[in-house]
Amino acid sequence: MTKWHLSRRSLLLGASGVAVAGAMLGRPRGAYAAGKLSVGFWDHWVPGANDTLTRLCREWAAKEKIDLTIDYIPSQGNKLLLTIAAEAQARSGHDILAMNTWLPGSHAERLEPVDDVMKDVLAKNGPTNPVVEYLGKPDGHWRAVPATPGSQMKGPASRIDLLEEHAGIDILAMYPPDGPATPAAEQWTWDALLAAAEKCHKAGFPFGIGLGTTSDNVDTWGSLFHAFGARLVDEKGNIVVKSDATRAALEFAKKLAAFLPGDAIAWDDGSNNRWLISGKGALIFNPPSAWAVAKRDAPQVAEKVWHHPAPTGPKGRFGPYLPYYWAIWSFSPNKSAAKSLLAHLSTREAAEQLVAASQGYDIPGYLSFNDFKTWNEEGPPRGTLRHYPPTKDQILSIAAAPAPHKIAEQIYNQATITKMIARIVQGGDSIDKAIAWAESELEGFMRG
Amino acid sequence: MSRPEMAAPGAEKAATGDLRRQRRWALWSAYACLGLFCVFFLAPPIYALVTSLKTSQEIAALEGNPWLVRDPTLANYAALLGSSTFLRFFWNSAKVAVIVVAVTMVIATLAAFSLARMRFFGSTALATGVFLTYLIPETLLFIPLFQIFTWLRDLTGIEFINRWWILCIVYPTLTVPFCTWILIGYFSSIPKELDEAAIVDGASTLQLLLKVFLPVALPGLIAATIFAFTVSWAQFLYPLAFTTSLDQLVLPVGIVTNLIKGDVFNWGQIMAGALLTAAPPVLLYAFLMDYYIAGLTAGATKG
Amino acid sequence: MAQAAAIGGALEERGASRGGGLARRRARIAFLLCLPLIVLVLALVIYPAFYSLHLATLNKSMTRFVGLANFAFLFKRETFWMVVEQSVIFAVGAVVFKALIGFVLAHLVHRLPQRGQRAWRGMLLVPWVIPPAMSTLVWWWMYEPSYSALNWLLAGMGFAPVAWLGDPYWARFAVILVNVWYGAPFFMIMYLAALKSVPAELYESAEIDGANAWQKLIYVTLPMLRNIIAITVLFSLIVTFANFDIVRILTAGGPRDMTHVFATWAFKLGIESNDIPLGACVSLFMFPILGFAAVFILRDVHRRSRELAGVAA
Repeated sequence: MTKWHLSRRSLLLGASGVAVAGAMLGRPRGAYAAGKLSVGFWDHWVPGANDTLTRLCREWAAKEKIDLTIDYIPSQGNKLLLTIAAEAQARSGHDILAMNTWLPGSHAERLEPVDDVMKDVLAKNGPTNPVVEYLGKPDGHWRAVPATPGSQMKGPASRIDLLEEHAGIDILAMYPPDGPATPAAEQWTWDALLAAAEKCHKAGFPFGIGLGTTSDNVDTWGSLFHAFGARLVDEKGNIVVKSDATRAALEFAKKLAAFLPGDAIAWDDGSNNRWLISGKGALIFNPPSAWAVAKRDAPQVAEKVWHHPAPTGPKGRFGPYLPYYWAIWSFSPNKSAAKSLLAHLSTREAAEQLVAASQGYDIPGYLSFNDFKTWNEEGPPRGTLRHYPPTKDQILSIAAAPAPHKIAEQIYNQATITKMIARIVQGGDSIDKAIAWAESELEGFMRG
Repeated sequence: MSRPEMAAPGAEKAATGDLRRQRRWALWSAYACLGLFCVFFLAPPIYALVTSLKTSQEIAALEGNPWLVRDPTLANYAALLGSSTFLRFFWNSAKVAVIVVAVTMVIATLAAFSLARMRFFGSTALATGVFLTYLIPETLLFIPLFQIFTWLRDLTGIEFINRWWILCIVYPTLTVPFCTWILIGYFSSIPKELDEAAIVDGASTLQLLLKVFLPVALPGLIAATIFAFTVSWAQFLYPLAFTTSLDQLVLPVGIVTNLIKGDVFNWGQIMAGALLTAAPPVLLYAFLMDYYIAGLTAGATKG
Repeated sequence: MAQAAAIGGALEERGASRGGGLARRRARIAFLLCLPLIVLVLALVIYPAFYSLHLATLNKSMTRFVGLANFAFLFKRETFWMVVEQSVIFAVGAVVFKALIGFVLAHLVHRLPQRGQRAWRGMLLVPWVIPPAMSTLVWWWMYEPSYSALNWLLAGMGFAPVAWLGDPYWARFAVILVNVWYGAPFFMIMYLAALKSVPAELYESAEIDGANAWQKLIYVTLPMLRNIIAITVLFSLIVTFANFDIVRILTAGGPRDMTHVFATWAFKLGIESNDIPLGACVSLFMFPILGFAAVFILRDVHRRSRELAGVAA
């Protein structure tokens, strides 16, 4: 375009700058002409958390003179998912969209690679945890920038009192409010969890672990499968579900399921929250949202809730981590501005403010960010989030990893793992039959 | 409208006490049966009302009868009615409903008039086939519709996606076929002598439609209007797919997506929102029910 | 000129015999009046439907034409046949109960004295008036495992709690129940309208012939209501078959995929698992099943109305 008119800023901002120049000449150039950027963020459930993100973005927009519009899109009712699918098909919409877990991979070819942004960000922040890299860099390129809002751990949220009283487990002795995990935490194994589940079930406070098909359920059982070394599909795309490890994991799951609530098979991501809040359950696997709601609706429950890492198994302690990203559509007319905004939101300062605004719910993907003081301060009970961010002894994981993306995504979204267990527990299938069923499902997922 | 009563006086005339007792017994059993169905039909709205009057602490507490309120509060209603976003959803829904009803009625009336009184190549097939558009579900259509609107945007420079009025373009596909069908039936029930008289008086086609058909067909038009309104007010999938920004959302989608955040549910407000959403159509039916039934009576039976 | 056309339009038989030009002009006006309808259906239903057909022939990443391979793939999936079966159970089960309940209610209300009718009608119509996305949420909250208000009632009557959405068979029941709850009032109102249009003389003459209530129902009411029953059932069958909200909100297809219907499974595959062509295939599969039913029913209706017209003439 009008090359001779480029100012310093427009060089920096590329297309938007050209538009700014155009606007200065008094010739508006279509919808995006005036350096516009339109962003669809994940609508945070913590009241006020969106405001901090909005403020950070506005600061940037004021500095860069960008006309910024922000939409907060809830994940509920699959709104975010539908918006992403629709914009991908229409090849129009927001410039930046929030995407969780598998979405950067599944839309990889429609997303602008952000290797340049990530190079700078990683140089400043240090490496991300392995889950963030596995999901955000699906084809050798970073397809999205790790987002702080929404990224979460899904370890247990336990009732201190009920575990102590009915199962004889002193969770505070393992994961104390003021320091790192003690050696006693080594006793926190899946077998210990099973024994505790049985005792609490007998006492009338069953563990609230769902067997449904939504992500909370899949993540929990995925962490169990990892701890037993059970994989469905390996890195190269071979179906490896038929293994002793899978059998062992299913055996264990079968035993554990006997002590879960009767309708655990129908549970969704909200059921375990309600289970904890109602005071009926001694343990659930969930980020601190259940606890936060309990603070409002059932404070007597909330003050007894402790967040801590998942149990360890034969192959180690696997903490389920579910990351969110910000992705830029390849059809975005203003990629350079989008990248500039994402870099602005990826600083340590920004992340710290966002974590504080989320009351400790969000866990940024950068390992060096796991020391924010918000987690030490939140309560009551004070320190309940002390052990919520990733700890050294945990291997962060996502169910269905390390399968190639397109397959892993299907395994996760179709909840093959929990369905296998449900077939055994409710459908009366033998373990081998359930594995055979999974094999045929996995073959179906291989289609290109 | 007086026909149903004819059976009763007939019984009175029979005048044997036995028969009368039988009649009364039949009436009472009818009431009992209807009462049972009313319990079934009204239990969910009543439960919604009860829940909407509770605080979130009371909802979360497990003890006690869930069908009763201990500390009634209007906080949930106050929170919704005091929130500009909720009022915005309401306003958007109202705008969409009114426009959709208007568009639907124009398209359906013109088509029904033509299909009921005139003939052209394929008109019989069209009259029957219009019903078959319902065979193609929204779940199949919304992705291609996206492509169409993107294409239109590139053509016209007007953004369609994420604008509330896009719903006014897509909803008629759900309302027009049924309304056309109702109106064909209603128009067919109007005696042909009426148009003949009008034509002898020198009325044009348009005058015939406006001055003769519309006044006579009022119950049918009202029935179609109410149907279109109900459908447009209740839609979920299209607005979920086509609108994103808070200020563009309509009611059901706005409520579901804004009162449920991830795994955190705000039940009291959801229930209050559900009842407030149901209020306008309930009022509409309360006032226009007789017309609705009269319209359907002629429209539906002759179709 | 318009007048001439109007005369032609109104007196169509005579117009047709009078001359070709007039008939053609009249036909043109008739066509123009239908044009908005035709454009609407072509642009926003037929064209996108064919586009979906095109989508259904692409590979998963939508880069390559694969013909009928997606359908062939589906036919080999166990889940697909399960979904076919469940959709049929869901739609047929729900429609049968809606039609029965609607019919019974219409009859009961019809026989009430005029004064009380309005209130009963109003109350019974409530489920159809609440947007289903909202009322289903209420049902869901009544089914909810930890807080179920229905289980509270059951417990009060001495029954064990029911895993409404956890047990596949109860879940199917629960889903159908909500659909019946939502749809039965529509049937009631349609039948009620139809009942009011049955000439009272028919019943009177039946009574003179000594018919009892049952015989009147079989020989007078049902034949007179046949068309409206057929049309309502067809309409409801189509809408129920394509239902998305209720299943999606209540069970999302679970447990073990045993409540998935076409629309929810298509959504699961197409949107959630990012395989739009396969999702389109599943949705398309509804068409032949319903199309078959529709042609069948509409032909019957058409024949009936012609018979009736013949009788009237």
